[in-house]
Amino acid sequence: MKENLSWRKPAAIITAFLLLLSIASLLYLLIGKSGTDYVADIFQDGILIKSVYLNDLSETGTFIIEGESGCVNEVEVRPGCIAIISADCPDKLCVHQGFISDSRLPITCLPNRLVIRLRPVSDSAASDSMESIGALDAVTY
Amino acid sequence: MSVRKTAFLALFTTLSLAIFAVESAIPPLVPIPGIKLGLANVVTLILLRHFRARDAFFVLISRILLSAFLFGQALSLLYSLAGGLLSLCVMAVVMRVLRKKALFLTGAMGGLTHNLGQLAMALAITRTGGVLAYLPFLILSGILTGLFTGLCAGFAEKPLAPFLSDIP
Repeated sequence: MKENLSWRKPAAIITAFLLLLSIASLLYLLIGKSGTDYVADIFQDGILIKSVYLNDLSETGTFIIEGESGCVNEVEVRPGCIAIISADCPDKLCVHQGFISDSRLPITCLPNRLVIRLRPVSDSAASDSMESIGALDAVTY
Repeated sequence: MSVRKTAFLALFTTLSLAIFAVESAIPPLVPIPGIKLGLANVVTLILLRHFRARDAFFVLISRILLSAFLFGQALSLLYSLAGGLLSLCVMAVVMRVLRKKALFLTGAMGGLTHNLGQLAMALAITRTGGVLAYLPFLILSGILTGLFTGLCAGFAEKPLAPFLSDIP
């Protein structure tokens, strides 16, 4: 009898673990910062190649980012938001994501190793921690 | 390994490849790389329950390699391997701990660890801490899609059980 029921305790633990993880993720996503000014940091292969102060812009602008392997992404900036508007990657997920205007979800083009992330202007600690993670990875490799 | 079992595992490899192909034809619903249903995991779950982890491993590796040769690129192969192998290991352990009961929990743990493995690979490839911002999305989607595939596996294996128990 004990043999048959011995799976219940681990099952309860796993359920509790998954529930906690889900609730933590949901809370994190719901409590997103908004209403601040943002800098768009553009990373290629983990290196910051360009920063744009989105709230200083007065009109729309576009520029092209080329990678070492010849891949091309075209980026459009507007006051307060940024998007990849065309790319030569196979899935075009980065293009379909459209414009982003907060720091919750960065635009990532995995095939072209391009990441665009918004950072609140006042928040320099966030970029520091991000760079330290990048540096850590570089060391590991 | 008996001829019967070899043939059966080959059949399951084909089945998972077909599921994978059909699923990759569905356009992505959310603009986040790595979020999808992962229906091919149904096959892995059924194999883990009725056979040894080794058999599930062979079928998984064959499916990943075949799908990469047929319709993938080198990069997607790396992501599939990272996610697939990590989730297989975790599911094998969870399946044993749960005495093969509550398949949906095993599925949820598999979905979660699959996404974590892919994120770790993305971190290694892009070398940008910024991809960690996907973590909450990937945790949620991994658990939800894993629950779904786990339930699917539970329903699918009932009619299959008489055939499966015949195979040594």
